Amino acid sequence: MEAKGRCWKFGDNIPTDQIVKADRVLLSIDEMAKHVLENLNPDFPKNVKKGDILVAGKHFGQSSGRAVAPKAIKATGVGAVIVEYASRLFYRNAYEIGLPLLECEGITKGVNDGDILYVNMEEGLVKNETTGQEFHARPIDPFLMRMLEAGGLIAFGPEIDE
Amino acid sequence: MNMIEKILAKASGKKEVKPGDVVVANVDTLLLHDLSGYITANVFENEVKKDMRYPERVAMVFDHHFSPPTQQRAEVLERNREFARKYNVNLFDCGSGNIHNVGVRKGFVRPGTIVAGSDSHTPVHGTMGCFATGLGNNSNAATVMAYGKAWFMVPKTIKIELTGRTKPGVTPRDVALWLTGQIGEGGAVYRAIHFTGSFMKELDVWDRWLFPLITIDVGGKCGFIDPDEKTIEFIKQYTDQPFEVFTSDPDCEYEKVLHFDISNLEPQVAASPTLGNVKPAAGFAGNPIQWAELGGHGGGRLEDFRQAAQILKGHKLAPGVKFNAVPSSRETFDMCLKEGIVEIFHQAGASWFPASTGSNQAINMGAMSKNEAMISTHARNFPGRNGSPEAIMYLSSAYTAAASAVKGCVADPREFLEVL
Repeated sequence: MEAKGRCWKFGDNIPTDQIVKADRVLLSIDEMAKHVLENLNPDFPKNVKKGDILVAGKHFGQSSGRAVAPKAIKATGVGAVIVEYASRLFYRNAYEIGLPLLECEGITKGVNDGDILYVNMEEGLVKNETTGQEFHARPIDPFLMRMLEAGGLIAFGPEIDE
Repeated sequence: MNMIEKILAKASGKKEVKPGDVVVANVDTLLLHDLSGYITANVFENEVKKDMRYPERVAMVFDHHFSPPTQQRAEVLERNREFARKYNVNLFDCGSGNIHNVGVRKGFVRPGTIVAGSDSHTPVHGTMGCFATGLGNNSNAATVMAYGKAWFMVPKTIKIELTGRTKPGVTPRDVALWLTGQIGEGGAVYRAIHFTGSFMKELDVWDRWLFPLITIDVGGKCGFIDPDEKTIEFIKQYTDQPFEVFTSDPDCEYEKVLHFDISNLEPQVAASPTLGNVKPAAGFAGNPIQWAELGGHGGGRLEDFRQAAQILKGHKLAPGVKFNAVPSSRETFDMCLKEGIVEIFHQAGASWFPASTGSNQAINMGAMSKNEAMISTHARNFPGRNGSPEAIMYLSSAYTAAASAVKGCVADPREFLEVL
């Protein structure tokens, strides 16, 4: 599983409240996607392209466990999310809805907004093609990788039931 | 093994589990609120498309709405009611109280069980000797409906030992707020937190409740307290169903052990933008507030109303201050009536709201303009949660919230309690 695209860089401790505001959680996912993270960077939902890479800092997706937060990010076309570390619920929800997510210490120091990044999920490899620098993310548990490849938890459900 | 490892092993049919293992475990209770219930119901019917296997394990509590403010919200609640009827799941409608308090009071939380929920504060049920964690409000909750199971990675455990006794005017909530700052946001990501020590042992169960409550906001997966006689007696008030009590082995391993003596703690306040921004109340003293509220996850308990009533008795709210009193359950309101607390609040100028989760996320109430500030017993203070991202939320004990409401600004409550 790979992705390549422009880096959109965000800061530390971003709560789900800022990814999708509570008053939008009942809208359609496409409607939410039009406003994702707009409070922090209004250009992001307007200009993000399929395959782009979202980079953020520590404890990304903290606060309420809204699966619509990773869903809305996925609906923007983002190919992968790379963070210093994610909140537990964001991590869980991302894999369950099929959003590729890597935790990669030092990533925020090694990339700038606008850089071109390449990501290989199985290898946990992040390459900054603008600078040539490579990063190695925390390996993904095989159970989670299988769930991600299946497209998320719902498709993976029968394996849970065994 | 510790308590949660024993529970996860049993629920997944294993003799032993260790940190890092991924297990698929039986879930005994699934708690949903009105918003997550709606989202989960749609995912269950439109995407999972399986039978509801264990409807008796599912409880939906309407706590973000006590009365729908718009037609759209009315339709959301109606849809939830139809879903509950169709699949025969338990429903607690508007006015029942906060999801977690109702979950306990209606017998869905028993020691030794796995409690999963769409709400991120679900780890609070670790207070009762459960493995309790949030799953997010979508596909996972919906697959629990279909399979009665969920996947869990066994977390590493941090032990926190609290000793000492608080000074007068300093409450268990002050200790919990301070502890949040000590552990730090992200200080326990994906960890279980085992709360122990003489301080915890001496607390009553509803006060112990404030500790596993903080787990999520320091990044944790679950918090827990080994059940003792107090826990068992407490739970037996609410359920006749049998349960098995698990406790941690004395020699179980921890990733780390943190010890804190809380004897010298002052009343604490955590101000937006984060829970980690916590200081003694004196550090924010004089900052104006327009709103005060007892309510939210972990707030609106009888203990909170009793504290605030000590300060509000014989006082009036400062000009321009509004005070929302939001009981966490109908039973709590009943006790407030019997103890004369309803009258004391009313005479002071406070307003009573229906049992609910109050201003949490400003869905039914509690939106603020960019110029406003609230002091409350809520669990969170993140920007944009209550209206304007520039509005400020101060989190504090009920004493501090009441004292601040009387003064019109953040205040140390001890000047009202004659203990200095």
